[in-house]
Amino acid sequence: MTQQTEETGQVPDLVPPEAAAQVGKVVARASGEVVRRDWQRWAVAVGEDNPLWFDPEHARAHGFDDVVAPPLYLQYAVLGVTPLDRLRADGSSGASSGDLAFPDAPRRMAGGESTTFHRYCGHGDVVTMERRVESIVQKQGRSGPFVLVTWRTTYTDQCDELVAEATTSMIARP
Amino acid sequence: MSTGTSAAPTAGQLHFEDVAVGDEVPALEVVVDETQMFFFSAATYNGHRIHYDKDWAREREGYDDVLVQGPLQSALLARAVTDWIGGAGRLVSFSAQNRAVAFPGQTLSFGGRVTGARVEDGRGVLELEIAGRRGDDVLMPGSATVSLPLRGDGG
Repeated sequence: MTQQTEETGQVPDLVPPEAAAQVGKVVARASGEVVRRDWQRWAVAVGEDNPLWFDPEHARAHGFDDVVAPPLYLQYAVLGVTPLDRLRADGSSGASSGDLAFPDAPRRMAGGESTTFHRYCGHGDVVTMERRVESIVQKQGRSGPFVLVTWRTTYTDQCDELVAEATTSMIARP
Repeated sequence: MSTGTSAAPTAGQLHFEDVAVGDEVPALEVVVDETQMFFFSAATYNGHRIHYDKDWAREREGYDDVLVQGPLQSALLARAVTDWIGGAGRLVSFSAQNRAVAFPGQTLSFGGRVTGARVEDGRGVLELEIAGRRGDDVLMPGSATVSLPLRGDGG
């Protein structure tokens, strides 16, 4: 199929109108509590032994009230729960990204992330995420066309103060 | 937890004056195995089959094996930075792009280099160029900004 596409010069449109209509819109909002046990599970999975995440005395000696969450953990504090029978066929959940569907580009992969952290979070903080679709662009790569989706996300705390701002992207391929 | 763990990192606190443009962020070498991938997917509620279902990864998506999670590689890259800056350092911004896939069992290396240094509001601020690599291949290029205490600042 790729061969034919190259020969005819026709590039299939991989972005359905329903997905394109989401550009500029807030597609996901979620709140979650930052929980020490959860970030420590995450940190252990990353092989972390940084005492800021584990040792209250060390954290207090460095300007915090108690242990803090690793900054990159923040995005997982707000994760919702998708029932197993509502996962996509590939096992992924679209809940935190607005569930955009690209039937002609089902192979999904994280693109990139860029986050500014205004402060570190600790146990008991309640974080609210708001995610907006910034752009959905079809591009032509060396191995064929793909869709690049970019989201802008803000994270605020229980006092409505900005904790972090992020730009993330996803690549979907046929 | 153990109070003993705080001694070494405190003693080794990095200060702004210890670093110059061009200096390397010490590389973190990791061979991710499927156990680590399982725990990372569990910790991030990631059910994506390309990370645990070999048949799906190979037959449905055309990869040689299951893929190491991009967010795990990001986390390892951030870990290389936060380990280096110590308890008084702060990660201010972090950016990384997934450029190529990695498979379990491969030796991956995460590190970087200082590209800029300035003092701002009584703290040292460093700009870093960072990357996750497999040998000479850059799998995950990125950048980061960190803030460090100044020496004599009690940091």
